[in-house]
Amino acid sequence: MGQTQTQTEAANQPDQKKFLSGAQAIMQSLVEQGVDTIFGYPGGAIMPTYDALYDYQDRLKHILVRHEQGAGHAAQGYARMLNKAGVCLVTSGPGATNLITPIADAMLDSTPMVCIVGQVKANLLGTDAFQECDLIGISMPVTKWNYQVVDADEIPEIMAKAFYIAETGRPGPVLIDITRTAQTDLMTKPFEYIPCKSIISYKPRVEPKAEHVEAAAKIINGAKRPYILAGHGIIIAGAEKELNDFVDKTGIPVATTLLGMSSMDADHPLYVGWPGMHGNYGANVLTNSCDVLIAIGMRFDDRITGDLSTYAKQAKVVHIEIDPSEVDKNVKADAPVVGDAKAALRALLPLVNKANHSEWRAEFKKYDDEEYEKITKKDLFHEGDKIKMGEAVNLLSVKTKGEAVVVTDVGQHQMITNRYYRFKKRNSIVTSGGAGTMGFALPAAFGAKVAVPEREVVAVIGDGGFQMTLQELGTIAQSGLPVKIIILNNNFLGMVRQWQQLFFANRYSFVELQNPDFITIAKGFGIAGHTVSDRADLSNSLDTLLNSDKPYLLEIICEKEENVFPMVPAGGCVTSIRLE
Amino acid sequence: MLTNYTISVFTTNTVGLLNRITIIFTRRRVNIESLTVSETERRGVSRFTIVIKHENREFVEKLVRQIRKVTDVLAVFGYLDDEIVFNEIALFKIATPLGGVPVDVKTINLDWNAKIVHFGLDYVVVEKNGSEADIQEFYTFLKKWEILEYVKSGRVAVGKTEKGLVEFLPEEGIWEIV
Repeated sequence: MGQTQTQTEAANQPDQKKFLSGAQAIMQSLVEQGVDTIFGYPGGAIMPTYDALYDYQDRLKHILVRHEQGAGHAAQGYARMLNKAGVCLVTSGPGATNLITPIADAMLDSTPMVCIVGQVKANLLGTDAFQECDLIGISMPVTKWNYQVVDADEIPEIMAKAFYIAETGRPGPVLIDITRTAQTDLMTKPFEYIPCKSIISYKPRVEPKAEHVEAAAKIINGAKRPYILAGHGIIIAGAEKELNDFVDKTGIPVATTLLGMSSMDADHPLYVGWPGMHGNYGANVLTNSCDVLIAIGMRFDDRITGDLSTYAKQAKVVHIEIDPSEVDKNVKADAPVVGDAKAALRALLPLVNKANHSEWRAEFKKYDDEEYEKITKKDLFHEGDKIKMGEAVNLLSVKTKGEAVVVTDVGQHQMITNRYYRFKKRNSIVTSGGAGTMGFALPAAFGAKVAVPEREVVAVIGDGGFQMTLQELGTIAQSGLPVKIIILNNNFLGMVRQWQQLFFANRYSFVELQNPDFITIAKGFGIAGHTVSDRADLSNSLDTLLNSDKPYLLEIICEKEENVFPMVPAGGCVTSIRLE
Repeated sequence: MLTNYTISVFTTNTVGLLNRITIIFTRRRVNIESLTVSETERRGVSRFTIVIKHENREFVEKLVRQIRKVTDVLAVFGYLDDEIVFNEIALFKIATPLGGVPVDVKTINLDWNAKIVHFGLDYVVVEKNGSEADIQEFYTFLKKWEILEYVKSGRVAVGKTEKGLVEFLPEEGIWEIV
């Protein structure tokens, strides 16, 4: 085995010391925290920890990625599936800076992550040492919490705190910067891991205040045209059943946000689609007709609201949200309920009246019919030569019975996937929402598959985004996990092209790609695949993809200049939505 | 109209926390007029006193909530000027060369409620406490001498409520009174 031991690096040898080394303490903390999977990439400043990991391979599965960004997104995919922190282990300097994009992504999409990054020796801090970088400074605006460890004795407590902060309240990424000194030094006391249960300065409210719940119920019970926007908070809280119970009793139509998608069965009679820039017609327009807007576990992102000064001004707003700083941030709440979505819905259920709202619900139907005629029908039953993204996704949805975990990248294909995949199972969408990180899908799909190997995981990616992290094909091949990859290839950075067409007078500025042969690339990594460009072969091709018991890449050549509609122009009013 | 807001932030004593808090102001493009960090009557609790000017109260409220969200922050309070007692301290180093206008110690003491805290060979150091306006006025008065150096602290402030602010800290607080 290629393990090298020198006099100074031998701290991890169990027989030479009384107490654990810092590196061993990191490993032991992970084990005691219940972590079983780490996504990582070794390097100089984290080597003592990797050396300790050598002895923990039976308890901690380490997955070697090909780029630290891949580790980050894989950890996100993993975390989103299991609702527990994804763990990354990388070295200092560039290893850690490569993690910044996934960390920022996780911050915006409330994804729990614990990133353990190496740092130069304590005596070299601040000296511009080799691979030194101020990760505490760099990561500060994009982490929920970060901490630099210089003393091995601190490790168990800091690790416990990191997981507690990452996973509770509104989840988020935590970065622990561990100096090489803290890794190699021996602890001066016996190792003891006490899971963190509370922090004096950090008290996320789970149970909402009774008076707030009562006020919300009063508004809901007085509503004639109520409308629910269900967000990621439903999935994070595991409140899908509570949402369904609430909706079934109150008869209130529900839209789910991009990240809240799959929190309701797409075929539920009260499900009306999704709001936002490329969301559904009725789901957008009727935001400005409802009399009570009930937002649950969502933060009124600008991609949902468009112009705030014209957004839902007629409505009383009930905002159920765990993060108090989100209340009144973008949309003023008439009845704020700070708390966990599950607890809040449970408290609310007995207080709300049974209702039907059939007339109001019928209004959504009218808009749906128009959207179907003007957009959906053309997307799904298209007679041109080239395959449209929508028909491919629709067929995927049918063939997987809406039960796959769908991981998307960012752009047109992402919006199309969310339009046409009919989610039937909870927690089935993994996508980069707030940050819109191209390159997210391939590693995130891998991480999701690691988390839930029993589920079918399909990555739907554009040709642009795929090329940002395609090296992770190597990770997937090495793991052997049957991640299914679909590239919807239109040879364009499609969403930017669409904007240039619609808003920049057709001036296509650097959006056309000369693409590689994706199948040859996949083969180079040992992953089988094929290309389909003929509609007649699409169904069989998807069968081949889905039936493969190994990772498989299907490239679908799509119509080059397809546009995604409906579309609310950026910063526009939700009623200014365009259907063509 | 720009209004003064004084934001008192109570925190655990953590390395780098100042940065985490000021980032919130930077992100929202708010200029910090003054910032003072000090210990409090509870061991291990630090107090940041931050003064900003802003025309929109709602904006400041959002800022306060975002500061509260920082993991190591215990409590945050935003105040208008009439809700606090506040003060600043300024030091002026005044040249007193041979043959120059002598410094009028009596006027400085009695009329301006300031004092000379150090006599150098050819300069004196004058200390003045008061509001920003008091200090500004005193500065104008001192201009008849050559001002070699001028420095002013940030605002320190206590609330006008009966109880101390630490009463509002999380109940499980086990900090001993210093």
